[in-house]
Amino acid sequence: MFERMLVGRIENRVTIGVLAFVGMMVLLGWAAINEGGRMQAFTKMEEARSIEQGAALFSINCSRCHGTDGRGLAGFGPGLNSPQFFGYDFFPEITKQINDLSAEKVGLNAEKSLSATTPERKTAIDARLVEIDTQIAELATQRNGQITAAVDNGYDPQRPIRLNNLGWVGTQEALIVTTLIHGRPTSINYWPNGAMPAWSQTAGGPLRMDQIQDLARYVQNWNKGDAWTLDDLFAVKQFAKEPVDGAPLMALIEQLQASGGVIPEPVGTDITAVIEQVASVTGDPVRGDQLYHNQVQSQLGQALACNGCHQQDVNGTGPMTKGTFFRVQNERVNDPLLKDYTPEHYLLESILMPGNYLVPGFQNAMLPNFGERITLQDLADLIAYIKTMDTP
Amino acid sequence: MSVLPFPSFLDDVKEKGLKKAVFELVDESVERLTAGMNVQDIREALRGEPASRKPNPRLQPHADGFWLHMRPGYFHSDMTGLYPTFRLGWLSTYLVFFETITGILLMVWYTPSPEVAYSDMLNILGNVPMGQLVRDLHRLGAEAMVLIVALHMVRTFFTGSYKKPRQFTWFTGLILLAITGFLSFSGYLLPWDQLALWAVTIGASMIEATPPQIVGDNLNLLIRGGPEIAANGLLRFYLLHVLLLPALLFVFTGVHYYKVIVHGHSLPPRKENIGEDTAKRVPLDKRVYFIPDVLTSEIMWLGVTTLILVVLCIWFYDAPLEHHADPQVTPLGTTAPWYFLWIQGALKLGDKVFWGIIFPGLILGLLAVWPYLDVTVSRRYADRRFAITFFLSIISFVTILSYMGLAEFGVRTSPDVEIFHEMTFPPAHNHVGKLLPVPYEQLVAGVYSTRQTSASPEDAEAAIGAFNAEIEQQMVPDPLVAGSTITLEERVKRDLEVQHLPLPSGLTFRTVPSDAPELLQQLQYFGDRLLAANNELYNAWGAIIISQNQDNLKRIDLVISWDEVKVENGEPVVGADGKPVLVLDVNGNPMRRVSTAHVFVHKDAAYFSH
Repeated sequence: MFERMLVGRIENRVTIGVLAFVGMMVLLGWAAINEGGRMQAFTKMEEARSIEQGAALFSINCSRCHGTDGRGLAGFGPGLNSPQFFGYDFFPEITKQINDLSAEKVGLNAEKSLSATTPERKTAIDARLVEIDTQIAELATQRNGQITAAVDNGYDPQRPIRLNNLGWVGTQEALIVTTLIHGRPTSINYWPNGAMPAWSQTAGGPLRMDQIQDLARYVQNWNKGDAWTLDDLFAVKQFAKEPVDGAPLMALIEQLQASGGVIPEPVGTDITAVIEQVASVTGDPVRGDQLYHNQVQSQLGQALACNGCHQQDVNGTGPMTKGTFFRVQNERVNDPLLKDYTPEHYLLESILMPGNYLVPGFQNAMLPNFGERITLQDLADLIAYIKTMDTP
Repeated sequence: MSVLPFPSFLDDVKEKGLKKAVFELVDESVERLTAGMNVQDIREALRGEPASRKPNPRLQPHADGFWLHMRPGYFHSDMTGLYPTFRLGWLSTYLVFFETITGILLMVWYTPSPEVAYSDMLNILGNVPMGQLVRDLHRLGAEAMVLIVALHMVRTFFTGSYKKPRQFTWFTGLILLAITGFLSFSGYLLPWDQLALWAVTIGASMIEATPPQIVGDNLNLLIRGGPEIAANGLLRFYLLHVLLLPALLFVFTGVHYYKVIVHGHSLPPRKENIGEDTAKRVPLDKRVYFIPDVLTSEIMWLGVTTLILVVLCIWFYDAPLEHHADPQVTPLGTTAPWYFLWIQGALKLGDKVFWGIIFPGLILGLLAVWPYLDVTVSRRYADRRFAITFFLSIISFVTILSYMGLAEFGVRTSPDVEIFHEMTFPPAHNHVGKLLPVPYEQLVAGVYSTRQTSASPEDAEAAIGAFNAEIEQQMVPDPLVAGSTITLEERVKRDLEVQHLPLPSGLTFRTVPSDAPELLQQLQYFGDRLLAANNELYNAWGAIIISQNQDNLKRIDLVISWDEVKVENGEPVVGADGKPVLVLDVNGNPMRRVSTAHVFVHKDAAYFSH
């Protein structure tokens, strides 16, 4: 009845229809005008909820190594809630001054080594170099004195930007996402509690890409921009470590350059040549011991850690350390395959070319790259140490 | 002599003058386009006047044009009103086109892959202008279509319109109902959120029950594309949703409508004698011509219906989107889509094969062949008591089963988990956990206890003080070291530390600050829920621990601690004194249980409240 009254007449139908279409257009137009704001609000909300998801994932998966507050755990994982991670420099002026001085130093050193440089100029350069070193030391002392706690904790204020230290040219988000996807393969030499595993399913981990994205957003949510305080720096329990501490090696090289010496070279794998060369070098069993047990690095800055596989009193991945030389003398060189081998020859070939001969019962598990990682002196020291293992 | 070297429009202009020539050209074009009606005819039709020339030009488009050849030239005036059709068939057809158009728009921004489907949804919602509206329209239209197609069937049954000669029309209609259900169901999965994954997992697991096992297993594999729904399954559902099912739908819609026209729309039962079918013999005075009456009516309804849908979607309806699909996390209270709830409910009655496959198959099969079983001639309600009673019984049964399909019915979860869920669940079906909509500023960092809410406001401080002392003194068994005991406080702290909650300042309870009334309100709710569950969570207290996780992010931990009670067959055992029977340890002390849950809330998360 209602229908017949209202829309039984054609003009009513036309009117209602036109009104409906016009009304709809007005509504859609109104909605369209508000779309920009609505989409912005949605994106903001969505990002917020993504951060919440990331927080839950971080709590379960990451806080064990990076800390519940993201400030890192000593020996386990570096702080992410850290000014260093987000590249905030508390002393930009000093950093710049030291960088300028260092650049000047490099230039002066180069000039000094030119044959055209007059002796007077060389003297002037030396004086300036001393001056520069003093200035750098003063600046560093002035700065580091304010952040002793952080420096003691491994913070390098001269290199405050994590991305630069890594040589990363992408965005920070890309670094976080990439690291989460693939993990960070590392050596137990500097992360003794193990490496960061791959987290993405793509790389064999447990998380989906959207979860990686949530986590990355959560981690980035720690960024305080310019509002970082020194308290934030002091709260960091573990700073990022870098794979090789180049400083001692560089110091060694500089020292050698200064004394006119040569930069250490790897011993290589030419066994015949090495046998001849090593005869003229005196091995130091004490340093060999330290090298063997990873207490010092090789002259090429490499950690050897022979004891990782060659345990002291028991056979592991490799034969035990104790009695090595005894066995070489009394068993190995008696092997018909090894006739004409002296124990020393056998030892150094086993270090440099570990796959050539295998002790029965052991796999070829030793890295074949020691020729590239040690110098002649390192080799001599190692052999000298192993020779002390001459009782059964 | 023509103006140009060939006959042209300019000759007309020269001959008749510009105005007349243009008018004639327009008139002619309109007549060609409408396949028979010129401007004057249209004007008359829209004015409601009779046609001024013969033969009636308003029938010409039906005879000569493509679009109207499938529409009858006139209808019986007894069936153009709201009764008896309620426009349900028309609405169903309308929704077919509505869903096709909105669906094609959505396809532009959608990729059927688990890696990107969900972010495509976020993109549609946050980056595509009007994207959310189109999605809402598509979703609402889909839900409405299932409902309207089902109501269309109900109406057809009650008016007896399935009877001879329209049995086959009914049969194709039932196929269309099934296709509609599957279309809606297959679309459910595409957003690749938790709601989608789990609703479809439940649906697909019903298919798995098809006997014999080899058929069920393979059907299941076929539809899921693997043991679990993943990339293959999503692609299959997508292809079903956008290709196979729509193709079938269009074909059967064509057959269905063809049959409707061939047999004519059946009249209301009262309007014709028993056994008569006069739909095709419309007396002259009962004819309502398609042009102009039905056509204007349909265009009007097109506008009105679309307007209603747009209004609903702009102000009242948002298509749900939950968290990203996660096969590892089963949300509490997962159900199939509402139109399949009756099967889920039936499954709770017993055997999976019978109730999940045979029973629904029987119902659908019975409905399909019903017109061939019910061969009585009369379409009048009074003569069809049995059929109508039978049909009402089926409707009632399906309604009851649908209720039984809800998670509330017959699915028991431990009460602590249920309470945690109520307090913290992420937005789902326009609801959200109680704590999430509390304004961010009112989530004041601190440790709060439901003991505050069981005391009067003046005694709150004292009650909390006493509570602090109580948990410091109450000794409970150490779960790590058999036979030794620790304080309850220590026990709770340990459980929280397992959940990676740092508690640098210990666990000292305090009262909710006065400027956080909504937090207090939810704490009150928490306390009330614990009290209501006293039989299972005996002697319980709850705690809300709020901590600042990041500058704009808070963490809310919930703790419930209670004395464990004996449970048999899912119900707590009540002793003679009306109190639940406690589980005692070797020393005869109650076993104190602690349970925790946590959730994070961001300042900008904008949880709505319902």
